[in-house]
Amino acid sequence: MSRPQQQTPGIGSALRAWLGFAILLTAHFAVRPLFSGRAHVDFIVIAILFSAVRMRPGLAALTGFLTGLAVDALAPGSFGASALVLTLVAFGASWLKAVFFADHVALTGLFVFAGKWVFDVAMTLLTGGASGASLVVTLLLWSPLSAALTALLAVLLLTVFRPLYRPHTY
Amino acid sequence: MARSVRSDGRIDTSLALVCVLLAVFALILPRRTREGFAASLRTTVLSPLVALEGRASSVRAAIVARNDVLVTRGQVATQALQVKAVADENTTLRRLLGLSARLQDGFVPAELLPSRGAGDEFTIALATGSDAGVQPFLPVVTADGLVGMVQSVDRATSFAITWAHPDFRVSAMSVDEGAFGIVQPHLGAGAERWLLEMRGVPFRAKLAPGTLIVSSGLGATYPRGIPVGTVLGELSTPEKWARTYLVKPSVLPAAIGPVLVLLSSRTQRGVNGVWTTVSAADSAARAVAAAGDSLARAAALDELAARRAALDAAADTLADSTLVFFAGGRGTEADSVRADSARTDSTRVRARADSGARPRVRPDTSKPRPTVPPPAVRTGPPPAVR
Repeated sequence: MSRPQQQTPGIGSALRAWLGFAILLTAHFAVRPLFSGRAHVDFIVIAILFSAVRMRPGLAALTGFLTGLAVDALAPGSFGASALVLTLVAFGASWLKAVFFADHVALTGLFVFAGKWVFDVAMTLLTGGASGASLVVTLLLWSPLSAALTALLAVLLLTVFRPLYRPHTY
Repeated sequence: MARSVRSDGRIDTSLALVCVLLAVFALILPRRTREGFAASLRTTVLSPLVALEGRASSVRAAIVARNDVLVTRGQVATQALQVKAVADENTTLRRLLGLSARLQDGFVPAELLPSRGAGDEFTIALATGSDAGVQPFLPVVTADGLVGMVQSVDRATSFAITWAHPDFRVSAMSVDEGAFGIVQPHLGAGAERWLLEMRGVPFRAKLAPGTLIVSSGLGATYPRGIPVGTVLGELSTPEKWARTYLVKPSVLPAAIGPVLVLLSSRTQRGVNGVWTTVSAADSAARAVAAAGDSLARAAALDELAARRAALDAAADTLADSTLVFFAGGRGTEADSVRADSARTDSTRVRARADSGARPRVRPDTSKPRPTVPPPAVRTGPPPAVR
């Protein structure tokens, strides 16, 4: 009994993946500043997670690192923090997706929610921006809210732009 | 196959470790180095994203600024309205103070409690009750006139029906006491619901628009002389033996603010002179109108006298001319006679003038008459005298 041979993603699929990534990256800098509030949508995390599930873990980690550096360049006070966290999130997402995640919208939403929450928790702890009650509120209120918003948008994107953001197994 | 997978896994792990190490290295870099590196990234690779973010921030700032402008505009409008409301309230309170001073005693001032919403348009809640001496059936007034009547009383609050309440009735009369009737809500549709009507006015009593209607004092609830409204016009009703008038209330619904409840002692003593200014103003207005009519009548009489005088003078001139005509027909002697006659007339005229007697020939009639047209004759009816 032979295992079904896994298909390698073609050039078209890769182009669509990078196009989706670029759109989300642009949205992070063009759309996100339009909204204010403690809970916000993180287009970068969505881009990283959507792209990570199409890449090998090493390449996903590199993508996360470079994207994190770009984010850090605009917030030099914590330069390197985003790069470190996004590297780990992208690597973990790619590895987890390769292991057991299926092509399911709700699971993808949960996946994004967890990824964004982990990202926020790691960033909060790494940058030391909050302490005491403020830290608890940030980690247990604002971060889950942001993660929920981000997951909601991810599910929406996955539903509306399915050809662009459809996960691809390899 | 397995070796290849394992090799790929090692590469992935190694790549991830390298990235992690680089990120940690970036974290522990000296501050100046980090900022320099970040600045170089911002000015080169990330410059489009930085510009995009800056533009989005500008858009956001414009939106916020627009909201601020709208909020500021709303605040200014609100404050302007509040200023007007404060000014109106000040005027109302001043007038109420004036009314209180005229009443001197026997009343209870009361603030209105907030309305309970729809379906409660014809009742007002007052922040005074039996503790202050308020009883049912006491009149509620403002400086403008009658508001209504207390219907029920608690210890600290009371409820009054306004003139718009379907059960409201007040015996009223015109301010000159020429017509009596019962004033009640008009019960019309739309804006006319907020008018009154005066029913049962005797047919012989015709009220002109603008006539002030005051309470007549009949019925013992409302003392005599409280302004109720002004006549707008007559309503046509099937009742041919009585007239019904539409009355504009003295106290408009929006103007019902702080009120006074007239206590029974004051009601029994009456409120003569309290709203005198209103009645006096109405009487004064009528007096001014009547005075104007008297002047018009005097002018008409003067015109008639002048016209009569002009006719008399014309008749005299005609008589003199006739005499001259008959005298002229007798020849030259007659001329001398005429001259003598003329001289005699002149002498006589002078003598009469000296004696102070009235000359037969008026001086103005011997001169050519100016070409001034005669005074116009009034063709209309004579001015009414009130």
